[in-house]
Amino acid sequence: MTVLLELKNTSVFYGKVRATSSVSISVPEGQIITLIGSNGAGKSTTLRMISGLERPQEGDVLFEGQSILSLPPEKITGIGIAHVPEGRRVFSQMTVMENLEMGAYLRSESKEMARNLDLVFSHFPRLKERVGQYAGTMSGGEQQMLAMGRALMSNPKLILMDEPTLGLSPIMCQEIAGIIKEINGNGRTIVLVEQNARLALALAHYGYVLDTGEVVIEGAADKLRENGDIQKTYLGLD
Amino acid sequence: MGVDTIVQTFTNALVLGSIYAMVAVGLAIAFGVMQMANFAHGELFMAGSYVVFTLYTLVGIPFLIAVILAFPIVAAIGMVFERLIFRPTRGNVLAGFMATAGAGFILQVLVGQQWGVGLMRSIQTPYPGSTEILGAAISYQRLLIFPATVVMVSGLWYFLTRVKHGKALRACAQDPEAAVLQGISLNKMTSLAMLLSGGFAGVGGALMAPIIPVTPYMGHTFAVTAFIIVIVGGMASIEGAVIAAFILGFIHTIVTTMYDSVTATMVGVFFMALVLIVKPTGLMGRVKV
Repeated sequence: MTVLLELKNTSVFYGKVRATSSVSISVPEGQIITLIGSNGAGKSTTLRMISGLERPQEGDVLFEGQSILSLPPEKITGIGIAHVPEGRRVFSQMTVMENLEMGAYLRSESKEMARNLDLVFSHFPRLKERVGQYAGTMSGGEQQMLAMGRALMSNPKLILMDEPTLGLSPIMCQEIAGIIKEINGNGRTIVLVEQNARLALALAHYGYVLDTGEVVIEGAADKLRENGDIQKTYLGLD
Repeated sequence: MGVDTIVQTFTNALVLGSIYAMVAVGLAIAFGVMQMANFAHGELFMAGSYVVFTLYTLVGIPFLIAVILAFPIVAAIGMVFERLIFRPTRGNVLAGFMATAGAGFILQVLVGQQWGVGLMRSIQTPYPGSTEILGAAISYQRLLIFPATVVMVSGLWYFLTRVKHGKALRACAQDPEAAVLQGISLNKMTSLAMLLSGGFAGVGGALMAPIIPVTPYMGHTFAVTAFIIVIVGGMASIEGAVIAAFILGFIHTIVTTMYDSVTATMVGVFFMALVLIVKPTGLMGRVKV
């Protein structure tokens, strides 16, 4: 199996504070990899580092075998890494369609854009009904769908998803989870950051558990689900 | 008050509102994208007046062409400012204040060196004469300003809502980091913002050059009013800036006609305070989540 993304001993500091410490993660093509852990464990920081919003002071990030550390974030989007940020971050004063157009900023050639738009609407039929609506007036779940659709518009090889189910109703969580599975089924690699470890481990092929900036456990998702420590700490089982 | 006075006041207000709109819109765009208040904005307006003074009065190029040329010339000044002075201080409020205010002083001094300080430069009006509407005399020179504003603000509107890079500019103003994640280069957008901001201020100054005294310090009052307008309209909101510009234009003109300009400025600031008490985000402002 080819490795699409590889983090090698990366550490990110905020000033003098160490946010992540020597994190090594390997993301094989076509899989869903999840990072779980409590608040402040360094999950979001790791995603932000992959998309270039933070720079690691140590280590290296390889995408398709090439180091991407020297690329600015807008170029990283260009090579095929899309980031669905925490809190959705849709452009609230713009319509659904305009948001999707922004996702296609680097892929705005009309044929390719039409193809990506069809794909987004096939995953999210609800967005198609609402193309003219302002993103800020939609529900949290719909905004999450828009944020994911916007990411798909750049036709990425790898999608980074930061807490896609945060603050959503249980039914909406299931719907989003189903769509994540669907997107992965279409051959896209996904790195999923979740506080909802149960949902994340049900979706993912492989998981990493982060605690205070370090990878403490890693393994196949079904193995992690059966791990007693993880059950106690993250799944709320005794 | 006779009909002629009312018509006169109304058209004067329309003209003043137009100029305010042209100056304030640029300030709002720059603020939205750079998250930085540009205290050199009044000096870009002044630069527009000096473009007309140089090209029209000294060189003898037709007035309208000088006004049109003010757009690229002052836009270029705005872009140079952005690249050399604003960009390194982006994200630092205090440094940004000093950098933009400093850029304004630099421009004042340069203009003063070249054309003299404090000298009232009178620029002959290219369109003498006036038309009479219901007994009110309105000079052609002033009358030109309203359609010019309509054309420019509509053009800007089209760009921001229909053109890809215009939409990207709005996206940057709403959430710079999310915009970058779509592959939009923040540096290109701040440069574009200052191009538009400078161009609009430049044309505003160019159109006003034959009407008001042209000095290196003329931008100050316009900049202060533009800040009030942008605050009233809701920081970074372009539609808010246009609406607030006309409201302020009417307030200033009506109060000046009835009392005097000092009272008018006071009423304008009082109006700003009132808006902020009732709606702290400004007329069209939004709460940042």
